[in-house]
Amino acid sequence: MASLSATSLSFKAPSTRSTRISQVLRKASTFQSISFGRFQSSKSLRLQISCAAKPETVQKVSDIVKEQLALSADTALTSESKFSALGADSLDTVEIVMALEEKFNISVEEADAQNITTIQEAADLIEDLVQKKPAA
Amino acid sequence: MEEEKKFVGGWGKGNKMGERRPEDICWKERWVDVGSAVRLLDLSAMSQMQRSFSIDLPSLRLPSRRETHLWYILPDEVKSTSLLKRYSQLLSQTEKDRVDQMRGDELKKNALLARTLVRTTIARYQTNEAVDPRSLMFKKNMYGKPELDWQNCNVQPLHFNISHTDSLIACGVTVHVPVGIDVEDKERKIKHDVLTFAKRFYSADEVNCLATILDPEAQRKEFIKLWTLKEAYVKALGKGFSAAPFNTFTIQSNPGGYNLCKTSEITANPLEETKKCNGGWKFALLELADSHYAAVCTEDDQADEGAPMRVIVRKTIPFVEDQLILKEYFCN
Repeated sequence: MASLSATSLSFKAPSTRSTRISQVLRKASTFQSISFGRFQSSKSLRLQISCAAKPETVQKVSDIVKEQLALSADTALTSESKFSALGADSLDTVEIVMALEEKFNISVEEADAQNITTIQEAADLIEDLVQKKPAA
Repeated sequence: MEEEKKFVGGWGKGNKMGERRPEDICWKERWVDVGSAVRLLDLSAMSQMQRSFSIDLPSLRLPSRRETHLWYILPDEVKSTSLLKRYSQLLSQTEKDRVDQMRGDELKKNALLARTLVRTTIARYQTNEAVDPRSLMFKKNMYGKPELDWQNCNVQPLHFNISHTDSLIACGVTVHVPVGIDVEDKERKIKHDVLTFAKRFYSADEVNCLATILDPEAQRKEFIKLWTLKEAYVKALGKGFSAAPFNTFTIQSNPGGYNLCKTSEITANPLEETKKCNGGWKFALLELADSHYAAVCTEDDQADEGAPMRVIVRKTIPFVEDQLILKEYFCN
């Protein structure tokens, strides 16, 4: 059973990725959300090519962040918005991670949780984890 | 050089001291409510802003080996735009850029006050000659913990750590041993259920301890206290959160104080548990300004193992006034 689902997952992955890459190519707005600084880290580069998160995911993350930090509904958040710049402390970040786990039904490793500093990074991690979940 | 300025008139009105048995020098929790601020400098303090740093920042002797000096600012007490402008002149360009990145005036002001507190506090302890707070340089250790780059700027090798909430910013200073501090609003509401949160992040023993507290408000308060103690430990350790995930250690609350127990060392045998809970770190938990819990954690110097931590708390508005709040011992 386990080996069957692993095989089916590996078949699925490439097509999902190519869809994503084509999404990146088509939507000019996605390029604008990539900040220059991210090119310097190889980790960011990998995320950028393989797992640019869907705008819907970014939106859901933004909503959760706004709620946790009690920001007004019309606060302009971009995918590059940094949690710390919005006034999130460590307790807020942990609560945000918990809310994301509940919303997306995923489990975030503590080490990964710490690497999240922007909305984009949270969305990327979520999609990475959602994709890795065993096929239902 | 005076240890600290003496002031006439003693404490302000409405002082309350926590209960104390004369034979105890150790306090588990302590707070002092000072009803009205007592200014150490007279009310013409504003004119002193034109004078040199050595007068505006009264110098102090260094903390002794078992002492932590804890300084705090209440942002609501700092309103003068000229004072804030003076503070912004103390910051490096990188610090100014970071302040500008903060979204909203309140967050910008608090970020400015945080850097001001760090720079002015450290500058006070320079015994050789008055040090310009602007001249201090900072670096990060290999895990990202901010440290004073004391070698490059000819200053005393102090350890410091900062923590802030919306309404209070604190800075702890030690010599010889690393320090971590964390402050939290006592009334902070957790969006998730406290036990659910604790089960996800705290150790099993801490969850069990919290579960025994039936009153939700008391449980929430204990949760917050534990949070500050755990944060203070991780920050004192200085190796990032992945070096000590919250569920791998327990902060144990004893009649005498708080102890660190590493989860892997806790066994079924209660005698063994006690033996392994002298993790080499000292803790203090205090209440500040009647509104915040503050946890302080320092590494146990081998020579000092078991000795109490002395904490000296001062409230400050840099260049304007300093107020001694508390000098107490905290046992483990």
